[in-house]
Amino acid sequence: MDFSIRAANVEDCKDIARMIMELAEYEKMADQVKVTQRDLEQDGFSKNPFFHGIVAEVPEQHRTKEGHTKIGYALYFYSYSSWIGRAVYMEDLYVMPEFRGKGIGKALMSKVAQLGLAAGCHQLNFTVLDWNKSSLDFYVSQGCVDVTASMGYHCMRCEGEALQNLAQP
Amino acid sequence: MDYKLRKAEPKDVSDILRLVKELAKYEEMEHQVTLTEKELLEDGFGDTPFYHCIIAEIQGESSSDDPKVVGFAMYYFTYDPWVGKQLYLEEFYVMDEYRGLGIGSEILRHLSDLAMKTRCTGMMFVVAENNEPSVQFYKRRGAEDLSQEEGWRLFRFDKDSLVKMATPAEE
Repeated sequence: MDFSIRAANVEDCKDIARMIMELAEYEKMADQVKVTQRDLEQDGFSKNPFFHGIVAEVPEQHRTKEGHTKIGYALYFYSYSSWIGRAVYMEDLYVMPEFRGKGIGKALMSKVAQLGLAAGCHQLNFTVLDWNKSSLDFYVSQGCVDVTASMGYHCMRCEGEALQNLAQP
Repeated sequence: MDYKLRKAEPKDVSDILRLVKELAKYEEMEHQVTLTEKELLEDGFGDTPFYHCIIAEIQGESSSDDPKVVGFAMYYFTYDPWVGKQLYLEEFYVMDEYRGLGIGSEILRHLSDLAMKTRCTGMMFVVAENNEPSVQFYKRRGAEDLSQEEGWRLFRFDKDSLVKMATPAEE
């Protein structure tokens, strides 16, 4: 199937917001999504963006029954490893179910890898849910390492009241 | 003992690298540090910094002595598309002989305050599960273990795999 990958622009935020919700539903955590289309526009497309996006599109003749031609996306940002320096973090990778199995996910990830290497990055990091077998298998087949398994690294977060308490003198 | 926290400056890169290596040694990973002072300088103090650092230093024994850098935290801003901006704590270390003085707690307090002022909804970081003292330090302060509670596993592509993935497949 014909598809193209390109950098996201501010007009894509409506579709990106839609697909973020679809991905959250797939991950069984849709109730956790608070970010809106407007937040994405401000946070990703102002002078100092907090993330970058790429979008996968199909031609009109392959649009979904709701009329969508933007059928996949990846969100990424630059990070830093105190051991090796510049790194890229892929926050989201998603292809709508009816467009899977056509190499679109692989093409999106490849594009993030290219952009990361062009920016001088030495590593690409991301997280996967432990029950998401098809994703786990896909990533391992692409040559990556499960750092949680090999080094015992756990992802931690301080938020809400805990963050407020920590900030008190 | 009097100490002070301040933003890192270009002159601090050799102390930052020293402390990075000390912490890596504590985690038994010293050989994995390939970062150089030159990279720290370019990446932290250029037009678009990849990271920010705060430094903890103590006054020298006499007023003519240089202050000594005894701790640091390296952080940057990330994005969670569900809840927005996050402050990511990449590295956080206080030299062994200067622990127990409240320096670590003060660094964390400073960063949490910064997170809130910059409208981050959370502060994120990674801890090795066998690092009991650190795990307890963070849990006591209300940190959630997302790997344990939600099943998130951290995956990584190293440079070689990254290059392979970036090369388009033969048609």
